[in-house]
Amino acid sequence: MNHLEFAFRNLQRRRTRSILTILGVAFAVGSFITLYGLSRSVHENVERSFDEHGTDLTVKRRGIAEPFGGTIPETLIPEIAKIPGVAAVSGQLITFAATDNDDSVLAAGWAPDGFYWANVPLKDGRVPNRDERKVAMVGYDIARGLGKKLGDEITLLGEKFRIVGLTDYHSIINRNQVIVNLADLQELTFRTGAVTFLSIELDNPADQAAADRVAQTIESMGKLSVARSEGMLRNDSLFGLLTAVSTSMAWVALFMGVLMVLNTLLMAVLERTREIGILSAIGWSTERIMGALVLEGFLLSAVGSLVGIVLGVTGSKFLSAIPAIGRYVAVEPTLPLIAATALAAIALGILGSFYPAFVATRQSPAAALERV
Amino acid sequence: MNASPMASQTLIALEHVGHEFDGGRIVALRDINLNFGRGESVAIVGASGSGKTTLILVMCGIRIPTKGILRWKGEPVTTLRQWTDLRRSAIGIVFQDFNLFPTLTARENVEVAMFGFGASSGGRRRQVEEALETVGLTDRATHLPQELSGGERQRVAIARSIINNPQLILADEPTGNLDSVNASATLDLLFDLQRARGATLVMVSHAPDQAGRCARQISMKDGKVMMDRQTARAHEEVL
Repeated sequence: MNHLEFAFRNLQRRRTRSILTILGVAFAVGSFITLYGLSRSVHENVERSFDEHGTDLTVKRRGIAEPFGGTIPETLIPEIAKIPGVAAVSGQLITFAATDNDDSVLAAGWAPDGFYWANVPLKDGRVPNRDERKVAMVGYDIARGLGKKLGDEITLLGEKFRIVGLTDYHSIINRNQVIVNLADLQELTFRTGAVTFLSIELDNPADQAAADRVAQTIESMGKLSVARSEGMLRNDSLFGLLTAVSTSMAWVALFMGVLMVLNTLLMAVLERTREIGILSAIGWSTERIMGALVLEGFLLSAVGSLVGIVLGVTGSKFLSAIPAIGRYVAVEPTLPLIAATALAAIALGILGSFYPAFVATRQSPAAALERV
Repeated sequence: MNASPMASQTLIALEHVGHEFDGGRIVALRDINLNFGRGESVAIVGASGSGKTTLILVMCGIRIPTKGILRWKGEPVTTLRQWTDLRRSAIGIVFQDFNLFPTLTARENVEVAMFGFGASSGGRRRQVEEALETVGLTDRATHLPQELSGGERQRVAIARSIINNPQLILADEPTGNLDSVNASATLDLLFDLQRARGATLVMVSHAPDQAGRCARQISMKDGKVMMDRQTARAHEEVL
């Protein structure tokens, strides 16, 4: 027998309580990984979505906090295209649109002369012809989800579109997007001549100074803000709300888990006053007794964290499987997030067990031995 | 100061030791002056509340005296750290109610007293097997305390108390919870070990026949030593 086995036996003896505590820590860690991973994933998925289209800079209406709430007049496109360092400008209108079976999809309207079309990965079919109307390219995942195939019709805002292509993007957002002619979507949303974003392709995307110059020039035109794809959601209130809620819940869950470990160890110490007295009587030093109790805290939080990782990864897959979430976000907790959460839980578990251990060793061995 | 004529070398000495509880309202020990020599067997007798158990607990540092001083081989023992070290390496304690860990087997209950000695796992195991063999519990090594009889539990406690080869064994009514047959066997074991290892045995007992097995008997009343004498057993040992 060694110290580890000794601690393990003590936890094993109070099996129900130990299991409940481990589950408490596991749910805390799992919730943190899932919820924090969700907010991170929204950010990453939006970033990936823009990157896949070949966008270097994105222009949107300054001051509008909703993701698709602001509009920009198409007339700005030729002006921006003249700015030195800009290789190409495309406008796109984006909206959530009602589709078949009372479902809704993310619909994008692309201008026929936009640079996006050159980067479309096709699974099947073709891209629409330049002036072809009422046709759609549908992301492979949403096509499968809606049971649509090439040649079928898909309804957007009450209007029928014929599916001419199935796209095969990597990002979840793009795999669930329906792309139509910009003019069609403008008509359907009563936004003629307007787009939601302008996407800019730079001559030299690696030249940060040039990118900054382009951004400054565009912003000096007034009422516009420019961001690289990773900064797209910086001022988005919905994303901010999602991040705030999920992060708060994640921290509350983790805090509750740590309190559970603390409570369990404190109860265990109070119940085992006599045993701690025996340890002292047979010559265990204060440090050794504290070490044994802290080791129990470590075991509880370590096992809880491992189970929590499994729960977190499973929870993330579960969230991704919910259509309302999974169509736009692949909740994928990263390895650094998993490792940091588990290590934080273990560290907090160890720190949390110091107090009960301290309480235990403050007792006089004689008083402890007199306890029944 | 009372001293045993057999105590050629003093192991532990109490000088003017007193112990009070509850801010002095209860006085458990009053001006105790005793020497315990190496290899002695000493019985502490007296009525309930006379201070016997407090004396034992003071002698191993589980209770720290409020007055006076204790010396171990002539050196004063004043800190908790010193007492912890002594309990780990030189003092074995046997309690009336065994004080075993319910989650650990007999073998593990003995082994747990060896933690911190730096012995290898294999070395510890060998020593534990030897101790269990000494107390006749080899075949019960893997049993939990609740699977053992009272006598067997006390033998596990005795094995634990001797595992680190203590020079002083303190036994607080070691047979108090045992029937007469087990009580007699437990005492036989304690005295055999004390003699074989040359340890000092200080035992609290209510029973005159048990106390009579010790070479020296100290009688206590109201926290004071009333009598400290050699028994007939001491004369037998001298002869």
